[in-house]
Amino acid sequence: MPSFDFLPLLWWGLPLALAPVIIHLINLLRHRKVPWAAMEFLIASQKKYRTRVLLRQLLLLLLRVAAIVGIALLFAQPRWRSAVGAFLGGSRTAHIVLLDDSYSMSDRVGESTAFDRGRGVIERILEELVSSRHSHELLVGRFSTISSTDSATPEDLERKETTRWDVTRQMVSPQSVQAIRNEIKSLVVSQSAATPREAILAATEMIGFGSGTSNVLWLITDFRSKDWKVADETAAALRQLSDQGVDLRLVDCAQGDHGNLTIERLDVVGGVSAKGVLVPLEVTVRNSSDRPVRNVSIDFKEDGAARPSVRLEEIPARGISSQRLESIFSTSGSHLISARLENDAVAVDNTRSTVIDIADYVDVLLIDGDPNGGSRTGDAFFVAAALAPGSGVATGLRPRIEPPRALGELDLKTFDAIWLMDVERLDEAEVAAIERYARSGGGVVFFLGPRSNATTINQLLYRNGDGLFPVPLAGPVDMLVDSVEKSPDVIVQDHPVVAVLSGQRNPLLGGVSINRYMAVERGYIAPTGSGLRRLLELRGGAPLAVERPYGEGLVVAFLSTASPTWNNWARGNPSWVVVMLELESHLAHVSRKALSLEVGDRLEVKLIPGTDESEVDFLLPPDGAVLRVAGTIDAAGSMTAELEAATIAGPYAARWQRTDGSEAEKLFSVNVVPEEGDIERIGRERLDRTLSGVKFTLEKAAELRPDSESFAGISLVTPFLYGLIVVLLLEQFVAYLCSYHSLSRSNRIG
Amino acid sequence: MNFLAMPASKKYLHPEAIRRIARMELRARTVVEGVLAGLHKSPFKGQSVEFLQHREYVRGDDLRRVDWKVWGRQDRLYVKEFEEETNLRLTLVVDASASMEYGRGLFTKFDYAATLAASLAWLAISHQDAVGCVLFDDRVRASTPSRMSRSQLTSVVEVLETPRGRRTTDFAPVLRGLSETLPKRGMVVILSDLLGDREGVFRGMRFLRQRGHELVLLHVMDEDELEFPFEGPTRFEGLEIPEHLACNPRALRKGYLEAVEDFLSTVRRRCASSKCDYSLVRTGEGVDAALVKFLSRRSLLAM
Repeated sequence: MPSFDFLPLLWWGLPLALAPVIIHLINLLRHRKVPWAAMEFLIASQKKYRTRVLLRQLLLLLLRVAAIVGIALLFAQPRWRSAVGAFLGGSRTAHIVLLDDSYSMSDRVGESTAFDRGRGVIERILEELVSSRHSHELLVGRFSTISSTDSATPEDLERKETTRWDVTRQMVSPQSVQAIRNEIKSLVVSQSAATPREAILAATEMIGFGSGTSNVLWLITDFRSKDWKVADETAAALRQLSDQGVDLRLVDCAQGDHGNLTIERLDVVGGVSAKGVLVPLEVTVRNSSDRPVRNVSIDFKEDGAARPSVRLEEIPARGISSQRLESIFSTSGSHLISARLENDAVAVDNTRSTVIDIADYVDVLLIDGDPNGGSRTGDAFFVAAALAPGSGVATGLRPRIEPPRALGELDLKTFDAIWLMDVERLDEAEVAAIERYARSGGGVVFFLGPRSNATTINQLLYRNGDGLFPVPLAGPVDMLVDSVEKSPDVIVQDHPVVAVLSGQRNPLLGGVSINRYMAVERGYIAPTGSGLRRLLELRGGAPLAVERPYGEGLVVAFLSTASPTWNNWARGNPSWVVVMLELESHLAHVSRKALSLEVGDRLEVKLIPGTDESEVDFLLPPDGAVLRVAGTIDAAGSMTAELEAATIAGPYAARWQRTDGSEAEKLFSVNVVPEEGDIERIGRERLDRTLSGVKFTLEKAAELRPDSESFAGISLVTPFLYGLIVVLLLEQFVAYLCSYHSLSRSNRIG
Repeated sequence: MNFLAMPASKKYLHPEAIRRIARMELRARTVVEGVLAGLHKSPFKGQSVEFLQHREYVRGDDLRRVDWKVWGRQDRLYVKEFEEETNLRLTLVVDASASMEYGRGLFTKFDYAATLAASLAWLAISHQDAVGCVLFDDRVRASTPSRMSRSQLTSVVEVLETPRGRRTTDFAPVLRGLSETLPKRGMVVILSDLLGDREGVFRGMRFLRQRGHELVLLHVMDEDELEFPFEGPTRFEGLEIPEHLACNPRALRKGYLEAVEDFLSTVRRRCASSKCDYSLVRTGEGVDAALVKFLSRRSLLAM
């Protein structure tokens, strides 16, 4: 809908459109009188051409009216605007400013960050608006604070506008500008990884408010590739706005083309998190520049105390590099490990921390199918001996050998992993308990043997792929003796558990001899996406050990015995101990994956009613400020105290009192989303492709010079001028047809 | 020369026109029924009663017309010439209806027709022809019978200057009455714009033809009526019919000219079928030019 810069001129000019009608009426009164003799010929002509003359004159009259309307419109300076009410309500423009405050905007070049430049853009827009002769509304929000929800009642929107938008919708005027300016100056970059899409959707909700105004959406961001990968969603959101007539103005705040290093991962990788044993850690750093980076030093701290630094020789261009380190914790409880890179363009992703819960011992449940469980010839014995060899060798593991019925009696969550060895049969409750355990992230290991029944396993545990067991079984098979080539019976596959044994000439596995094993059903092919992997293979290609994810957990099945019944692996071969410890570490690592927290996540402490007091003190980074939170009890009777969202990265601590007067503490490590540290730019060409069909302008923050005239829409003066010329030419043509032009004497009679 | 400044009796005698016409070889105009008199015998053998003059006898003259008394006194042969001895009996029938009052210059159509009629009368008189004049609208308003005398011009002019009422035209009874009252055959010249009772014109002409009169129709039309040059909002008010039309004349011009063209074609066709000599006379032309054109046409017809 067009609006007008000089609307009063239109109101004055439009009545002039009646001038041709009035002139026509006056001419009717001002006819020159001519006494005429040859009236009969004149009347004959008038009868013959009456309709044509009337139509032409009417058309001429309309064209003249249109010409005057066109001139009035030109003087009123029309502009194309989106809102219907602009015509009636004057030229009011609503500016919705979305400022990217994800931590990639802290990318520093010289003295300023991208966020500083974005804030400067808003200040420039504000100055232009306040000096404009049009009316402007302003609404400013940061990506991290605004978000969309499905419920969008007017009350919701008003509440969200008040609580989430930094500058709520208000008219820009000399009286309000100082307060807005102060508000904008106070904005700071967050440590979130908020994306444009969520912000745009939030803005879409707000655009519905002020009908009768045109809307300008300012998207001030750094255009990182990662934010525009989900092109369909972001582009679709912008396209929807564009289709609604919103003037889309994209402002690029990023400057220069430089790299950034991000600590992408710092985590325990295997091992046993128990006191006195080596806990393996791994740190991974990503390089988001186009050039490789060499000699990157990483500083470590363990519970605040500095540890020796590690050095990465080279991180490839747009690639990652990892380094392992080990730590021994002498005490049980939560320990904080932090890693730090030297400062670069984006500082916040140069630090990463993790909390490791160290136990006195890690309990492992061994279910032995042997009625004489624990005997020195049973499977559980050989596994327990491998996991906890004793004699001063600390593994941190505490194996507990139980019969199958213990699956229904014990709290399985307290065990780091559950091993089932040559179990003849499980009832449905026991199967359900162990499946529940695995689904929730636990690790389960099966060893098969003489008591194992392929049919029973297939029916109870495999269940056509729905059950816990990874593969369907055919039955026990004897391994033929290879007396000719004497090749090893066991072949190592590419898997972290047996990685230590990989290599062409490994004397440890060469001594392992497999006599009998449980064959997999002939012709079985694992379904695509099942995640089935082989750890070990037999000579001849039959699987010996396989792994398959189950829910959040992992299941590993050895298709032979743990004891030296069907093979001799456990009898004095050192590789047996190594593989069993690696396997336990591998299973436990899976169960710890869910502990990683990121900025924006909720911090939750589960309290035990009657044991714990109901109030929890959260100590917040960076200075340990205390926020006291009262626990709430849900319908199930569980009590929880939670911090709604962690807004900055760093170590958090939750402390609370127990009813017996003792104090409890839980540490949290909150890190930034590492992907946000990838500051690769999308580039104009790719952006144009991504936003194909969306009408937008893109300007560099440094070059942006807001023009309030252009805010009011696209000027229609030129098209109207051309239109007017066309109307005037048509008017002359029709006037010629109506014979209002000079007389030609060519058709003379006589 | 300012025509309006002329004395009333000479008002319609355009000196310039007369001067030009005097150069014409008038004798060529007619052979048997010459328009102008004096150079040959008239086919109409009228009886003269009014002595005009003597002249010497020439071979071939009728011996009955020799004045023997002069011969007895002077011993010379003279023949008597009488006033009635004319070659042509010309009757000018001038339309004085309201439609003839249209004109935007010095002349209305009636002024033009009257000037033309007076010029013809003068020419006829100067060539010893008898001339009469009838002024009419819906009936005869004034008339003078055909006579051949110098004073007849005054009579014709007096008829032409008869005050006119703004009346409609009714040709048929006027021309019928004329055909009944004209004593001898002669030439009847009608000067009219033919607006009004068009059928009546042709019906009246038929009466005249039946009586043996030669008919000449001088169709007087104003330049405006033939070109319709009006521009701007105009209200046309009928001179003869009580109607008016407010219009943009440019828009109606094409249709008007088509109607006029159709009208003129019809008149020409009907005149031809009635053996009437038709000439369109435009008031934009000089009267002399109109006379020359008329006389030239008569010459061609006579050959």
